Amino acid sequence: MPFDQALRFASIWLASTSFIGLTLGAGLPEWLAVLTGAALIAALLRNAGGKSVGRLATYTLMSTTGWNLLVIVGFLGFWVDMLWVSGELLPAGVHFLMVLMIIKLFNLKLRRDYLHLYAISLVAILASGSLTTDLWYLPIFLLYLFVGVWTLLLFQLTKHPEEPRILTMSVAMRPQPLASVSQVTPQFFWLANGLALATFGLTLVIFFTIPRVGAGFYQKGFGENIRTSGFSETVNLGEIGPIKRDPSVVMRVELSDGPPQEAGRLYLRGVAFDQYDGKAWTNRLNYRRAVSEDVAGTFVFRSSRSLATPRLGDTIRQNILLEPLDTPVLFAAPFIERVSGKFPSIQSDLTGSVYLPFPSSSRIEYSVLSRSNPVLPEDLGAEPSVYPESVIRHFLQIPSQPERIAVLAKEITHTQRTIYDKATAIHSFLTHNFRYSLDAPLTEQDQPLEEFLFTRKTGYCEHYATAMVIMLRTIGIPARLVTGFLATEWNEYGNYYVVRQQDAHAWVEVHLPHSGWITMDPTPPSIEGIGSGSPAWHALGRMLDTIRLQWGRFFVQYSAADQLAVVRELKAGSTSARNKAFDSMSTLFSPFMAMFGGMADYASKGTIQSLAEVLVPTLIGLAVLLWLGIRRPWVKGMISKKTTRDEQVIMQLYGRMIGHLARKGIAKLTAMPPLEFVRLTQERWSNAGSAVASITELYCRARFGQIPPTREELSLAENHLRDLMTLEKP
Amino acid sequence: MNPTDIIRAIQENIARVIKGKPQVIEMSLVALLARGHLLFEDVPGVGKTTLAHSLAKSLDCSFKRIQFTSDLLPSDIVGVSIFNRQKQAFEFMPGPIFANIVLADEINRTTPKTQSSLLEAMSEAQISFDNKTYPLNQPFMVIATQNPAEYHGTFPLPESQLDRFLMRLRIGYPSPEEEKKVLDRPQSLHPAEELRPLLATQDVLLLQEQVDRVLMEESITDYLLAIVQRTRQSDLLSLGVSTRGALALSRAAKALSLVRGRTYCLPDDIKELAPIVLSHRIMVARTCCVNLLPFFSECFATGRRA
Repeated sequence: MPFDQALRFASIWLASTSFIGLTLGAGLPEWLAVLTGAALIAALLRNAGGKSVGRLATYTLMSTTGWNLLVIVGFLGFWVDMLWVSGELLPAGVHFLMVLMIIKLFNLKLRRDYLHLYAISLVAILASGSLTTDLWYLPIFLLYLFVGVWTLLLFQLTKHPEEPRILTMSVAMRPQPLASVSQVTPQFFWLANGLALATFGLTLVIFFTIPRVGAGFYQKGFGENIRTSGFSETVNLGEIGPIKRDPSVVMRVELSDGPPQEAGRLYLRGVAFDQYDGKAWTNRLNYRRAVSEDVAGTFVFRSSRSLATPRLGDTIRQNILLEPLDTPVLFAAPFIERVSGKFPSIQSDLTGSVYLPFPSSSRIEYSVLSRSNPVLPEDLGAEPSVYPESVIRHFLQIPSQPERIAVLAKEITHTQRTIYDKATAIHSFLTHNFRYSLDAPLTEQDQPLEEFLFTRKTGYCEHYATAMVIMLRTIGIPARLVTGFLATEWNEYGNYYVVRQQDAHAWVEVHLPHSGWITMDPTPPSIEGIGSGSPAWHALGRMLDTIRLQWGRFFVQYSAADQLAVVRELKAGSTSARNKAFDSMSTLFSPFMAMFGGMADYASKGTIQSLAEVLVPTLIGLAVLLWLGIRRPWVKGMISKKTTRDEQVIMQLYGRMIGHLARKGIAKLTAMPPLEFVRLTQERWSNAGSAVASITELYCRARFGQIPPTREELSLAENHLRDLMTLEKP
Repeated sequence: MNPTDIIRAIQENIARVIKGKPQVIEMSLVALLARGHLLFEDVPGVGKTTLAHSLAKSLDCSFKRIQFTSDLLPSDIVGVSIFNRQKQAFEFMPGPIFANIVLADEINRTTPKTQSSLLEAMSEAQISFDNKTYPLNQPFMVIATQNPAEYHGTFPLPESQLDRFLMRLRIGYPSPEEEKKVLDRPQSLHPAEELRPLLATQDVLLLQEQVDRVLMEESITDYLLAIVQRTRQSDLLSLGVSTRGALALSRAAKALSLVRGRTYCLPDDIKELAPIVLSHRIMVARTCCVNLLPFFSECFATGRRA
């Protein structure tokens, strides 16, 4: 492909890339997106050599004044947009930018038009960068980088002198033969891509080393937290149901101790409730107190277990990335012992729930050490024994339910003797005799629990859990309802659980006299939650989610503190490397080292050396780049010249034309040079003038300028001659 | 930046002052680019001086004008040595020839001695004074004018000196319409004063280098040489074109190609330039004034056959 055509293509692709970026990031209005897309496609088609499209485009083009007027109209539209329609500077600016791009696309004539287009697309890609932090920006940006390098290289290599009003001639002018066009060669291809890759590498280095501020301030939906249900002070029965189909990700839980046990399920406890009024659960024990900070950033819960039993269950270490939610609750596996994260303070209430002072507006990361609570052997054999007063006061409350629930509970449990066995009996009764369905009736019932237990026998987690709690309480066993998430989606690529809105769950905590609170879940495993689709597709989705997580962690959330950590690590690494090198060197050059030892010691003490470690490679790299730029060893190989010789053909054509004109009465005298003959023909036979002129020009170029005509020009000349032959002379 | 566009811009610039004479403007640019000197031979008041002035103005070049009179001395052109009392030495004060474009007005009015002082400057682009040589500014171009109507009290330029001018041009009267435009212009300001420079000095040198790169195909060189040969053999002429003349024609043809935006010469260029480049280099044998154009036509035909 010739350079100039390649340049046009690359320029339009550049604009397209930034357009795509902006469309995805800013959510352009449909009409504008369609219009811009159409303009881009039209420009592409025109350059692809579609003659008819090109002609059409030139016909529909307005005059320069028209375009200028359009720009002014667009500018006025920008103000209207900013003041009344979108009401903000950034969206209005983006819309105006697209209008400018459309106008520019139809006016790509001079080289400065191309420069304008590049400027517009640069602003567009920057705008889309500030509007988003999503993962798709990475491929778009990479594409932009590659196309950008291509475009600028081509722009430099096609130095067509235009711009008639510039006075100084900076570059020595060489008469470029018109027909010898530089081509895009494979070398050029690889060079351009290599440069782009190198640029990207350099960008990465700069990204990780130069201090930065946060990104994505203007992104769509920034500051809007995900709406969750079931984690406020009061929860209506049936509130969790509607969100069970929402797949948006709420958090990701990394487990440092490898994949989970317990059939791949992990309970993430949120809030516990003690009071049920027949329709809604409330938490009366919501007095929150600050948790003491042990070490900086680590909060320890000493009293989360009511019993001071030294025998404890397994510990679970979790690293949780919580998306911005509308609740301040911190989720973790039961029961939390220690939380560390970048929080100024955290609070907990008497039911062991943990809260931030206020909901976070950005993704937060914290790690938790939890310890599961197993059933102790004492409880397995114990008779119903005495509960502490505080437990009895709060966790035996029953709404004014009809007697049949109590009767049912007694019926189920009368054969059992221990508390634990009774609880298990109710648990298995609920698990086996009821059907799980999300289509269960929602709220607006007078007696949702009775409805569930006796009429419909269909419901979801909240119904199961509420039923179990109330039944346990009617037979005197303290229990409470817990809401949270049940993580089931294990991502084996990133070793973490993906927790979605639809994983919201409610379950039961039963109080045993010796063991304390233990977790029981009467809800049968959900079948509906598992989506359809092939396993490969799911694996791909998980892989993508892993990438998205790392993107968010290492690029979007990459902060000055992380930067410091990276620098520290690098420094530690380089120090050890330097020490190693120094050791081996010193054995080799011990005599010299003795001499320079003092100096080396002095140097390694100061920060000068670490500075030099950064500066010296940078300078060397720059020098190499500069050298390459000056010498440009690749340029020779890259620009090849086309040397097809069609001179003979055009001379034959010219001869035939002369002969034909002579037969028509316009003879070429020997003393008549070619251009004079053209003038003579134009005087005598004006219709033939243009054809004769164009053939003569090609002939002169080939004959006297040694510039062979191209194939297209030859076929054009043949057409001209054919027209001339058919033309009637008046 | 395209040389053709620059040249076109300069042409348009000058054309704002010199109305209706695009060919003359084009040819004076050709002379400039071919590193040649110009001789305008025409009646007074047709814009010879204005043209020279406008050309200099368009180029951001230094411009000096010397009005040649019979009592003009070489030192008035070249410069003089003046005794400096502080330094106790003679100091050379450069004359008006040390400019990029020098207008020698009515060159045939002055004595041969003074004329010849211009000679060295024109051919060698340097000045010898007190056994020292001083290089002249580059680009250097002499635009001389002479009045053909009035020969009384003049010293016609010798052949050797005429040969140093690249071309001899006539401007001629403008058409009535063009003349009307000239009259309609406000008279208070000299028209050339409002021109602004379009090209820097070093860019003129660059353009002159460009001329050397223009391709002259072998057959065209043959054509040129055939014409030159013909003038030497003709009975009509007592003096034919010198080798310097042939060289001048070749350079002028290349410059014209560049001015017209080509990278190669055409036979048309030679044919168009031959009368103005060659006519002052030949001497007609018979004094009964002959129209030389038919002769040239014959030459061209010869050349084409060759």
